[in-house]
Amino acid sequence: MADVTVIGQGIFLRGSIKGDGDVEIRGRVEGDVEVAGEVTIGEGALVKADVTARRITVRGAVAGNLTGEDGVRLEEGARVVGDLRGAGIGIAEGALLRGNVQTGTGGEGRTRARQQPAQARTPARVEPRKAPTLVAKTSTPGRKIAPPEERPAPPPPVVPVLKKGSRAVLRKRSR
Amino acid sequence: MARTSSTSQGETAILGKGTNLRGRIAGDGDLRVEGTISGDVALKGHLTVHGGAEITADVQARSVVVEGAIEGDISATEAVAIRAGARVSGAIRGASISIEEGATVNGRIDADFELPPELGGKGAR
Amino acid sequence: MASTVISQGITIEGELTTDDDVVIEGTLRGKLVSKDTVRVETGAVVEADIVASSLSVGGQITGNVTASDRVDLMPGGRLIGDVKAARLTIADGASFKGNVDMDV
Repeated sequence: MADVTVIGQGIFLRGSIKGDGDVEIRGRVEGDVEVAGEVTIGEGALVKADVTARRITVRGAVAGNLTGEDGVRLEEGARVVGDLRGAGIGIAEGALLRGNVQTGTGGEGRTRARQQPAQARTPARVEPRKAPTLVAKTSTPGRKIAPPEERPAPPPPVVPVLKKGSRAVLRKRSR
Repeated sequence: MARTSSTSQGETAILGKGTNLRGRIAGDGDLRVEGTISGDVALKGHLTVHGGAEITADVQARSVVVEGAIEGDISATEAVAIRAGARVSGAIRGASISIEEGATVNGRIDADFELPPELGGKGAR
Repeated sequence: MASTVISQGITIEGELTTDDDVVIEGTLRGKLVSKDTVRVETGAVVEADIVASSLSVGGQITGNVTASDRVDLMPGGRLIGDVKAARLTIADGASFKGNVDMDV
């Protein structure tokens, strides 16, 4: 079993976290998180990063997109501004979200998760790194400055096909 | 066969399994949908969309529980609960929103809250 | 409980089709087609054509009704519209304005 990397309560990490293992964030992280295992963002944690992992569980605050191949779960107390993607998405009562939610079934979700690692998804609000980073795997400076992507337009309003017809019926009826 | 149903106020309206409504439904009471609706739903009461039920339209109610499918925006003054197995596509608004893992959701949630100032306050999104 | 109940305080505008029985205590405007029994209860307001196997009217209907079996106008029931049914009963205290076609 892979080790769990813990970013403790007093830690402020600016940079990216990458690897195969699990990560538990209890402190503050700014940058990117991209791991093969599970990511747990604990109560009181502050994360300003896109997070990609097999599974993501959030109890703290996040500004960034969360992509969990198997699933993303927001527990009570979680506050997230960003989009959620995963095969399964769970939001507990008392969790707060501002963003899009997209679940994918089985393989579809997997492919999507794999094809969309954090790259080029960086929203405008994540500033380019200024300070030297603490993590070894940070040699992708160009990546973060990728142009901010336009957010996808909201889904078109659903217009019931038959509404018109039924109104016509009504007009006929209601004198 | 229809059984006797009391006419007391606040009774739950039911659109049964074999029932299909093309049109709008509105009112003060609660509604349980087991059939299909294509048309807007606006209730002052609670809305329950059973497994197998389908609504293709916007939905407004005090609270909404979805086990079936809704293609349209959901808006509740109280809670929205999307259960495992449900299918929802559209924006979801409510005082509290919960989604069970195993639900198929494609939409947007806009809760009103502040991010901690360390993360840039409201998070301008 | 009936399969479909439009309770008091609920308004439906549109076309309701069902295989099952329907009880209306609220308001329906549009059209109702049921393969089973339809009961329009006291206090209900229906502005719709109704097709059903049988129909009992305790409330108010404005519209044409067709029943493969029977139509019963109950005391206090009010129907403005034509009736097409195999059998029709009109109770004392019911009001009815329209044509009757019992040749089904």
